[in-house]
Amino acid sequence: MATSTLEAPRSTPRAAPPKKPRGSGAVSRFIERNGAYLFLFPAIVYLAIFTVFPLIRGLLLSFTATKLVNPAGGRPVGVENYEYLLSSDKFWTSVATTLLYTLFTVVFSVSIGTAGALLLNTAFKGRGIIRAIATIPWAVPTVAAALIFVWIYNNEQGILNRTTSALGMGQHGWLVDPQYGLFAVTLATVWKLTPLVMLVMLSALQSVPQELREATWVDGATRFQSFLAVTLPHLMPTVRVITLLMTIWSIRRFEIIFLITGGGPLDVTNTLVVNVYRTAFQDQNLGRAAAIGALGLVLSLLVTVVYFIVEQIQERQESQR
Amino acid sequence: MTTERITIDLPRRRGIAARVGSLGKAALITLLVVFAGFPVYWMLSTSLGTESSLYGGSQPLVPELQNIGQWGGFLADIPIFRWLGNSFVIAAGTTILSLVLATMAAYALSRYRFHGRGVAGFIFFSTQMLPEALIIVPLYAIFAGAGLLNSHWGLVLADTAFVMPVAMFIIKSGIDKIPYEIEESARIDGCSRLRILTTIVLPLIMPSIAAAAVIAFFDGWNEFMFANTFISSSDLWPASVGLSSFLGQFYTPMNVVMFCALLFALPAIIFFLWAQRGIVSGLTAGSVKG
Repeated sequence: MATSTLEAPRSTPRAAPPKKPRGSGAVSRFIERNGAYLFLFPAIVYLAIFTVFPLIRGLLLSFTATKLVNPAGGRPVGVENYEYLLSSDKFWTSVATTLLYTLFTVVFSVSIGTAGALLLNTAFKGRGIIRAIATIPWAVPTVAAALIFVWIYNNEQGILNRTTSALGMGQHGWLVDPQYGLFAVTLATVWKLTPLVMLVMLSALQSVPQELREATWVDGATRFQSFLAVTLPHLMPTVRVITLLMTIWSIRRFEIIFLITGGGPLDVTNTLVVNVYRTAFQDQNLGRAAAIGALGLVLSLLVTVVYFIVEQIQERQESQR
Repeated sequence: MTTERITIDLPRRRGIAARVGSLGKAALITLLVVFAGFPVYWMLSTSLGTESSLYGGSQPLVPELQNIGQWGGFLADIPIFRWLGNSFVIAAGTTILSLVLATMAAYALSRYRFHGRGVAGFIFFSTQMLPEALIIVPLYAIFAGAGLLNSHWGLVLADTAFVMPVAMFIIKSGIDKIPYEIEESARIDGCSRLRILTTIVLPLIMPSIAAAAVIAFFDGWNEFMFANTFISSSDLWPASVGLSSFLGQFYTPMNVVMFCALLFALPAIIFFLWAQRGIVSGLTAGSVKG
């Protein structure tokens, strides 16, 4: 879901000084003075209980040898879990897999989604229905999508293998051959998420100033030139935001990978979050799982920071032009 | 005379090059539609297949519509309606709880300047970065202690934690767009803040609320990771967990599984198509401020 404010909110007017509310008893005066906190309180307390507290608890858990059978407590082991992970090949493979999966998903979904939006933004017959079809995958629940793709990738009866063998490209074990595991989950993810990019880009396209484009035509620019001069610069902020969000979400993504390959074959799709889940609920090692999760969080923070630095540089270059 | 120039220009553009261009465009659009639509079509087609056609490796490309009668028989095998009912309860609970919390918080963040405003905003944003997988382990421990495992309540609470901030940003961008003067005059008339929020602001931000509701409902309807971990009794499974239980099983025929997947996906698809306009404007208002 494309949803977070990345820029400072527009300057909204300051709260006007209270002007004697009608029922000006002590209670309503208290509400009036502390309105912001009262309105914010429930949500913040909620987040404190259900995300901040578990986060802290998870970090503490990562320094213990807690097992699933006794989730409440385990003996403290210091940085043992981290030492183990940082010296294990399996962990580093998991990091590499996460980065590869993220890179492929983001590149393909953002580029196909943007191109698709440009295409669907032009005028043609039946545009409404075609837009609807092109964006439906986003509405398909992930579990249903995973089941569909598992059937498409099926070794014996799958339509993908029937197609490849009809084209003379032979049959492949899409879900059992380590060579194809990452391809299989990436394709399914791109299918599911490209429509979201498309929706966001379509809506950004609607706010491209048409007068400006027409003005460039009058000045003799070709459509492509006016695209480069007007449309593209107008879309860039949206492209940047959606890329950042897709990146963060890809590092976090669990369900589609877990359901289609379960992290296999031979761990080639064992991303960090899948690794956390398997370590916790299959190997029953909560302490180590929490440590993987913490390192995963470090990774997404790092990616975000790098992203923001790149964005800053780009924005500076753009403003200098 | 600019209008004249344009009218002269336009016919000239429809030359051979433009025709090839529009043919290419048609090809690309077809490709896009096939890419997006085929898997959904294949789900429908598989649900209409017979076991012999599916497992004989000869599933026809055209759905076997004459088999539509078999759908009724599938329902007897699998408690899909019970699972869908559970999904609905979880999704509805998540939606209501998220909207109440998010609307109040959004109003505070949009309309007040106060200490800790930046920190509060950051807390909301940072949940986007937090992997559920990091939370799920301690949450499991906490829920185990609080008796919230194997309960729909626990799921509503966990799902809300992740979708409420998203709803908050969507609703906040809706409130940001309302001119403050409208509220100001109500305040001069002596309206309390709460009344302003419920009687003036709420009706004006209904499109944003609707978009946030759709997002929250989708999230609760689709959620799998928490449900799969916290709910052990199959009677309480939402459809996502019920359906996933077919993965890796060889004795449930694919046509039955795909029929259940269809029943699970259809409400979401219909809902999406119906509310699409609102979702898009809500999403983009919340996420992208170009």
